[in-house]
Amino acid sequence: MRAAETGTETPVKSNGLEVFHSKAHYWGRLTLWMLIAMCLVVPLYVSFVLGAHPGWNVILVGLIGYASFIGIMWVLEPITYYPALGIGGTYLAFLTGNIANMCLPCSSAAQKAVGAEVGTRKAEIAGVIGIAIASLVNITIIVVIIFAGTAILGALPAAVHEAFDFILPAIFGAVLGQFAYKTPKYGIAALLVGMAVLFAPIFDLIKIPLTVALTIALILFMEKQKNKKAAD
Amino acid sequence: MEEVLRTANSTPFWIMAFIFVGIVAFQAIVFLRIAKESAPDAGLSETEVKTAIRTGLISSIGPSFGIAIVLVSLIALIGSPLTLIRIGIIGSAATESSAAVIGANAFGMELNSPDFTLQAFSAVVWTMCIGGMGWLIFTALFTKRLGATQSKIEKKNPKAMAIISLAAMLGAFAFLASQQMINSANHVIAGVAAIATMIILMKTADRKHIAWLKEWALGISIVVGMTAAYFTTLI
Repeated sequence: MRAAETGTETPVKSNGLEVFHSKAHYWGRLTLWMLIAMCLVVPLYVSFVLGAHPGWNVILVGLIGYASFIGIMWVLEPITYYPALGIGGTYLAFLTGNIANMCLPCSSAAQKAVGAEVGTRKAEIAGVIGIAIASLVNITIIVVIIFAGTAILGALPAAVHEAFDFILPAIFGAVLGQFAYKTPKYGIAALLVGMAVLFAPIFDLIKIPLTVALTIALILFMEKQKNKKAAD
Repeated sequence: MEEVLRTANSTPFWIMAFIFVGIVAFQAIVFLRIAKESAPDAGLSETEVKTAIRTGLISSIGPSFGIAIVLVSLIALIGSPLTLIRIGIIGSAATESSAAVIGANAFGMELNSPDFTLQAFSAVVWTMCIGGMGWLIFTALFTKRLGATQSKIEKKNPKAMAIISLAAMLGAFAFLASQQMINSANHVIAGVAAIATMIILMKTADRKHIAWLKEWALGISIVVGMTAAYFTTLI
């Protein structure tokens, strides 16, 4: 089935990834709940072992203040990035964090390196491998920096520090190029939508999900038009 | 303030921090294993698995250092172990700094104030840890449902999911790139140089069948973008 869809894939069983998905759900949820439990242990320790409880009303005020502008992202981010991350990628990326600036770029780089088209089973597994490795590299580098931290960063010349001010546009531009080079038309369409939403007078936090939704709608429409033309 | 930082850097915090690190590493290793096991079913050969691993390694070094450089600013505020806890799992320097400010304010204190108490620190820890749980809980509860929705779409229209994935990726990165590039002319240079480098590298790799170039494409493009932007600041 899938082989016919993409033309470049080696033949695969249509449900070959069901085993992977059920394992991913099991381990993904297990590790997430472990982490959620640990997230409770830390503040409980400070409050009740160290005896520095700030009072429940203070905690509530803090949480409401934080949730009032971040809370919407708890729901929108997983939904927004799911189509690009897949099941395994979602569990990995939302546990380790740094989704846009690390997980997605590494996922897509791994997919491109093995020549897998986005949205295929092959791409899903290659992406999971890319993110899992990125997660390991990231946690290792963070631990090293935490310990040797200021020493290592201090040893870097100032020029390197200044160059790192520009890492975000470089990462995002590179990933955009990776996806747009085969279908520049879609890349330009996405950029136009992105620019329009960026300058639209709307609530900042929903801008990425909105751009993603509009781009999906627009590209599905463009595909439909293309197929219609091909059918005529 | 000194008492707070002494507590924040004490042994129990380090132990908790390393449990967090352990969970992250454990999850990554488990997923790596189950992905490898399923690779043949997905049409991924053994060499391609190795290629994916190498590419993940090469591509993540730049971004990881980018993250590490910003985390140093958090260490001064909340101590090393807690920084490890918050940055090692979902959480970025930006969200965590804002959580810290909000938590401290809820206690009626400024974050940098010299008479920052342990209770104020506690308020910060609560806000950061519980606030960061939102993503974890949603993903733990609803990823299965997202997967079911995906299967439904695939059953109805097998090609749709591929197009939706591509469009989602393009949309997200078109926005993120634009948002960064409007910061300054140098940011535009960084973004444009990275896009151009990537397109040239990918086209060359396709035309001349240079497989390793695709593994290095992201790393090279990021470095070229950053360097180009840095040199334009010198002019």
